[in-house]
Amino acid sequence: MDLSSFAGPFLPEILLLAGTLLIFLLDVLGIRRIEVTGAVAAGASALALLFVVADLGFAPLAFLANLSAGQVDVAIAPGATPLYAFTSLGLVFQGIFLTASFLVALASMSRPSNERGAPIFFGLLLLATLGMLLVTIASDLIFLLLSVEIVSISTYLLVAYTRKDVRSLEAAMKFYIIGALSTTLSFFGASLLYGAYGTTNLFAIRAVAGSVGYPVLVLLGYGFLIAGLAFKATLVPFHAWAVDVYDGAPTDVTAFLTGGSKKVGLFAIFLVFLGPVLFVAPGAGGSPFSGGTVNIGPVLQVTLAILAVLTMTVGNVLALLQKEMKRMLAYSSISQAGYMLIGIVIGTSPALTGATLQMFANVFMKTGVFLVVAGVTALGVGPLIDDWKGLGTRRPLLGVAFGLMLLSLAGVPLTLGFVSKFVLFSSAVEAQGYFVWLAVAGLLNSALSVFYYARVLKVMFFDRPEPDALPTGAVAGGSEPSLLAAGGLGYARATAIALIAVAVVAFGVYPQPVLGAISNAAQHFIHVGP
Amino acid sequence: MIPLLSVIVATLAAGTVLTFLAGSRARWVALATTIVFLAEVAALFAAFPGWPGYNSALVPGFADGESYSWISIAWMHVNYTVGVDGISLVLILLTAVLQLATVVYSWEEQKRPAAYFGLVLLTCFGCFGVFIALDVLLFFLFWEAVLIPMFFLIGYWGGPQRRYAALKFFVYTHVASIVMLVGMLALVFYSGAASFDFSAIYASARGLSSVLQSFMFLALFFGFGVKFPIVPFHTWLPDAHVEAPTGGSVLLAGLLLKLGAYGLIRWAVELLPSGLHTMQPVLYVVAFVSIIWGSVLSLSQRDMKRLVAYSSINHMGIVLLAIALDSSLGLLAAVLLMFAHGIVSALLFMASGSVHHTFGTRDIPAVGGITPTTPTLSTLIMVGSLASLGLPALISFPAEFTALLATWNTLAYWVFVPLIILVVTAGFYLWMMQRMLFGPARGIPSTAHDVPWYEGAAMAILVAFTVLFGILPGLLVNVIMNSPIHGFPGT
Repeated sequence: MDLSSFAGPFLPEILLLAGTLLIFLLDVLGIRRIEVTGAVAAGASALALLFVVADLGFAPLAFLANLSAGQVDVAIAPGATPLYAFTSLGLVFQGIFLTASFLVALASMSRPSNERGAPIFFGLLLLATLGMLLVTIASDLIFLLLSVEIVSISTYLLVAYTRKDVRSLEAAMKFYIIGALSTTLSFFGASLLYGAYGTTNLFAIRAVAGSVGYPVLVLLGYGFLIAGLAFKATLVPFHAWAVDVYDGAPTDVTAFLTGGSKKVGLFAIFLVFLGPVLFVAPGAGGSPFSGGTVNIGPVLQVTLAILAVLTMTVGNVLALLQKEMKRMLAYSSISQAGYMLIGIVIGTSPALTGATLQMFANVFMKTGVFLVVAGVTALGVGPLIDDWKGLGTRRPLLGVAFGLMLLSLAGVPLTLGFVSKFVLFSSAVEAQGYFVWLAVAGLLNSALSVFYYARVLKVMFFDRPEPDALPTGAVAGGSEPSLLAAGGLGYARATAIALIAVAVVAFGVYPQPVLGAISNAAQHFIHVGP
Repeated sequence: MIPLLSVIVATLAAGTVLTFLAGSRARWVALATTIVFLAEVAALFAAFPGWPGYNSALVPGFADGESYSWISIAWMHVNYTVGVDGISLVLILLTAVLQLATVVYSWEEQKRPAAYFGLVLLTCFGCFGVFIALDVLLFFLFWEAVLIPMFFLIGYWGGPQRRYAALKFFVYTHVASIVMLVGMLALVFYSGAASFDFSAIYASARGLSSVLQSFMFLALFFGFGVKFPIVPFHTWLPDAHVEAPTGGSVLLAGLLLKLGAYGLIRWAVELLPSGLHTMQPVLYVVAFVSIIWGSVLSLSQRDMKRLVAYSSINHMGIVLLAIALDSSLGLLAAVLLMFAHGIVSALLFMASGSVHHTFGTRDIPAVGGITPTTPTLSTLIMVGSLASLGLPALISFPAEFTALLATWNTLAYWVFVPLIILVVTAGFYLWMMQRMLFGPARGIPSTAHDVPWYEGAAMAILVAFTVLFGILPGLLVNVIMNSPIHGFPGT
């Protein structure tokens, strides 16, 4: 086999693996400074990201794309059962995951340079990202679930990497137990599906799904599979673990969990449901929801629709009640998963575009807010929202950046978060029928969410801090180093935060490049399949 | 060709940002922006409708059309499309005049002036955008852009109950705009419009079935109606008005209420004719109830600001009635009424603000015989009240006359409902004048003095427009008639 034709499409994965091995090698050699290991992790992620963007057809990077030319969105020969297939939607998600790992790696370089466990942190970060990249190319249930396992095991360890912090250890233990349960459920579901279809390959399942129909075995199989993956994606009612874990984990890890690894579950649901096009009876023609003799598709669909509405509502209402910053953001993260699920429920290519754009937006917003929280916590600010009093006026740039992320999460116009919600809810109306109510539910929820984001803005910009509320020296009084947020935060973290703030506004004002790419990818995905 | 509308957008955007950053000089920046804005609006008027860039490729009749692609994917084409017709042009003039009056009136604002003037400009910017936007997303962006600065104006600069009032305002109007957005998206996607542009929807929406049109019309009517406000969704208005600072009240009554009526005309009446036809009885009922209920509530008010606020519900009810008539005369009357009410209610809110500054209370029975102490203020209140009750030669008269005529043409004897209510309106304004302006002096603090120059100047500007268009309403009528509405010349 010609090397470039093999290595080409796998170049991002190879880069990440090489980065991981290099970090562990440096660890053995005694080079453990956070600047070095962090630079390796951030560099590997950035380079891999460049290749992915090039593969997506971004013109200025065309010279990089030659390596994998012609291997994306290739139609599969009838009867072939490949383990993996490169789709442009998968590449978009690779981009999303690599962005998360790059931003987290970059910001984490600002932690104390002699911090113990840095090689473990960055190595596992790359390893988890590698697992995510594999998820995006999977076209076989076993391959898919094993890739999800790579992500899961790496992230269990990531949560516990400090090894001393009791809260982190508790969170890791909880994460591990729940994760193990969900893995069991998924594999059980997959084995039931194997029993029903005689294969675990998504292409093969797609070919036989129509003739097998929807016996109990298939329903149970998909039921268990949904349940298992819903744990990963923090869908209500499988969400209970998420807040404790997000709250207890080191905040930089939380940024990665909500920004990156949670979307693994959602993408896996994309693959499992839209890949075999479960809702689309074979030969149904243009409309996804007409035709087909067995109407179990709609039943599953309604179930998922209820899950979506429940997830966003429960997440929002509980976020409204929180007093601690991290827990509030954790609940809001759950509600965001509900919006993304809408895309799967509707299952048209516009809806897939909307959901994917929502995840793209979410990477910046959610990773961003937790990176800010991590930085601000390191400055000595307490966990309560009220502890942030006056932060916006004392550190205007940091305040504005954080404010932009919150506004984007709330879906305020001219931010990325608004565009993604607008596209998503438009796609729900576009699909017509009862999906219009999903748009209404989503819009009402996003109106509700404005309140808890606005409360943080009010605390940051309008409330005066009590004199002794802020620890002296760190952020209080005239000891403020400069307007530039870098002071105390570290330049790497400040850069990451600034990048995110700029992206949130830039893509909000002019989303066309990203939206165009995602739309093309979604169309390919619906029509070609994994 | 100069893309004049985009130039104005850029002016207002830059002016708003600079005002926020200008610190203690914010009022000067705001004033400069406003004057440039006025000059640009004058240029728009001067060349309407024969402007060189007159783009008949849009819906016939929109002048100064500009369209640039913004988002374009397989199933969604959003453009930056703007344009004006006679209806929007008149309301743009109203925006510019009220912006000037508000900036001048608030000249000595002490509490965070940069933020205050910035928010005032942002509100007017949003209103201007709503009046020029011819694309669903663009319209919605500007629509929401009005909401947020008004929320802060009420919530930060308002009276004792400001937090409650701001929140109520926000919840009511935000929920309404969500319903409106869903209605508009449904309009785009159910009609299969080629893009989110007004012209594309205009071309395809007529193919929708009457039932679908009715549902969409109802959604849009609810969305726009809360801003009107229509009874029973009016309760946010008195609270917001009473708690808002005077500048906020002026913009609220003068501009924000017009957004609802404008949106209804542009996005519901013009696009969904058979929806309007089916829903006409509903609109009539709502309009009559609003007219009567607003008037009855006004009668029972002691607070001058509250009185003006409730009379707004009454006046906007007449606007709704005029729109519901579904005749070109009715639409003409609606737009004239919107302009007249914008100017006059702004004048009265400013007057009640000045009463509050001067006498420390707005309670009508508490003060009396103020004319000898404060002759200027007294005169201005009188002009405002007389204009509001429809005295000929002042701006409300031609508007109300047209509205009654249009009502007679379509509904015949039902015209007595608004007619009798207009008499009642005249009654409560006369009664207020009698109690406050004339008679023996009562409740006047010894420190009371006449209005400061800036408050007087702001109100004088509005009085000038009241008289100008009261005597020459034809100026406005000619502009409005040049609109692409069925029945108007120029269609």
